[in-house]
Amino acid sequence: MQVVLEKVSKSFPGNGGSIAVLEELNFTIEKGEFVCLVGPSGCGKSTLIHLIAGLERPTSGRLLIDGSPVTGPGRDRVVVFQEPALFPWLTVRRNVEFGLKMLGIGEAQRRQKSAQYLKMVHLSRFADAYPHQLSGGMKQRVAIARALAMDPKILLMDEPFGALDAQTRRLLHEELLEIWQTTHKTIFFVTHNVREATVLGDKVLEMSARPGRIKGGFQIHLPRPRRESDPHLIVIQQRILLGLKEEIAKVVKDEDLDYLVERME
Amino acid sequence: MKKKRIWRALAPWLFLLALWELASWIFAGVPSFVGILKLAARDFADPSFLIALAGSLKRMAMGYLAVCLVGIGSGLLLGRFRWLDDLLGTLVSALNAMPGAAWVPLAVLLFGLNEGAVIFTILLGATGIVVVNTSFGVRDVPPLILRAARTMGASGTKIFWHVIVPAAIPRIIDGLRLAWAFGWRALMAGELLIGSIRGMGQLISEAAKQRRVEELLAYMVIIAGIGMVVDGLVFNRLIGSQVRARWGSA
Repeated sequence: MQVVLEKVSKSFPGNGGSIAVLEELNFTIEKGEFVCLVGPSGCGKSTLIHLIAGLERPTSGRLLIDGSPVTGPGRDRVVVFQEPALFPWLTVRRNVEFGLKMLGIGEAQRRQKSAQYLKMVHLSRFADAYPHQLSGGMKQRVAIARALAMDPKILLMDEPFGALDAQTRRLLHEELLEIWQTTHKTIFFVTHNVREATVLGDKVLEMSARPGRIKGGFQIHLPRPRRESDPHLIVIQQRILLGLKEEIAKVVKDEDLDYLVERME
Repeated sequence: MKKKRIWRALAPWLFLLALWELASWIFAGVPSFVGILKLAARDFADPSFLIALAGSLKRMAMGYLAVCLVGIGSGLLLGRFRWLDDLLGTLVSALNAMPGAAWVPLAVLLFGLNEGAVIFTILLGATGIVVVNTSFGVRDVPPLILRAARTMGASGTKIFWHVIVPAAIPRIIDGLRLAWAFGWRALMAGELLIGSIRGMGQLISEAAKQRRVEELLAYMVIIAGIGMVVDGLVFNRLIGSQVRARWGSA
C-alpha cells in the first residue's frame, strides 16, 4: 500500500485559538517499505498515526491511500499503540480474533488465523491466558498478532516498544523484522528512539518539534539484521541526533535538554 | 500465611462470643449465645418459620431482579447518551441519597399494606446505586481500547456491545453487590414497618413485642447470616473470582 501526504496539516482548538500540531507534511510511504519516523516528544507523532489510521482528519492538505483520500478507519490500516490496548476480558486468542469477529468471519476461520499469527509471535502456548497474566513484551506481541490477523496492508506502529526494557525491545525488533520479511507488509513506525529507527527502517524521517514538520530523511541501505553499534549507523544516528537536538533546544530549557537527548539515544 | 489470616478474621468473633457466653453465665437476663444458635438451627425445622423465610426471599428475589433490570438498563442508557445523563443524572443522585426505609410510608400509600409495597421499597432503595455504577463503568472505558477497536473496523453498536459493555462489567458487578446489601435492608425495613406480611421482618417485630429476646436474636443471626453468605459466597467467591481471573482486578 502506498501512502502519500501532500501538505498535510493538523491543528486542534486550544485556549483562544488553534494549536498547530502538524504543519505541511509531505512524504510518501511506498508499498512494502519500512519507514521510521523519529521526533521529540510532543511533536505530533501520534497525531500523524491517527491521521493515517483515519481516527482523525487533517485540517488541510491531502492524505491519499493508494490514490484515494482517507475517509475513516479501515481494516487495511491497523494501529499498534504504545500501550498494548488489549481487551482485558478476552483471552489472548479472542483478542487476536476480535477484529475478524467484527468483520463477521466464522469461528473456524478465526481460529485458524489466530493460531497462525500467535505462532508467528511465539505465543501459541498462551492462547488461553488473559492479558493481565502476560509481561509487557508479551502483551505487545499479542497486539501485533491482533493487528496482523486483520491482514492490513500497512501496519501503523505508534512507539510500540517505548515502554519495554532494552532487552525485550531488541528481541521484538528481530521478531518484527522477521514478520515484515515474511508478510511483506508496509510498516510505518513512529518512535523517539533514534537507534531503534536506524536499526529497523529502510527510510528514517526526522520530525521537528511542534508544530511537527519533516526536517529531513535518510535512506538506509544496510542489510539486516543490523547492529546498533554498526559504524555506518552511528554516523546516521549522530546526524539525526544533531538535528533533533536543535529542535528540542527550541522548546525546552537548557537543563532539560541533556536529559531529553539522553532518552533519545 | 493464609491460615494466619483466617485466624485473624475469626479472633474478634471468638473473643466476643466468649465474652457473651461468660456474661450469660453471670447475669440471669442475658441469653446464652449457644442457646441462640441452637434456636436458630431449630427454626429451620419449624414450618411457619420456613414459610416466613421463603416469603422474604421471594420478595427479595423479585425486587432484586427488578433492580437489576431497571438499574443496568437505565445505567447503560445514561452512560451511552450524555444528554440523557444531563437530563436525569441529578434525579438518580437524589434517589441515591434517599435511604430505602424512607420509601416505606409512600409505598404503603401507593400499594397498601402488601407485598407490592415491599418490592417497591427494594426497587427504589437499591436501583440508584446500580444506575450510577453502570453509567460510570460505561463512561470510564479507556479511550485507547475504543480507538483500538475502531481501527479494527468496529463502530457504533458493535463497539457498545463488544467493547464498552464488557469493559464496564467489573463496575456493574460492584453496583449489583452494593444493591444486594441496600435491597436486603430495604426488604427488612418494609416488612418491619408494614408488619402484616409474613416474613422475617414480621418475625423479629413480633418477637420484640412479646419480649422473646432469644428468638429475636436468633432471627437476627439468620438475617445477617443470609446477607453475609450471599455477599461472601455469591459476589466474592463465585462472581468475584471470575472477574479477578479475567479482568485481573476486582
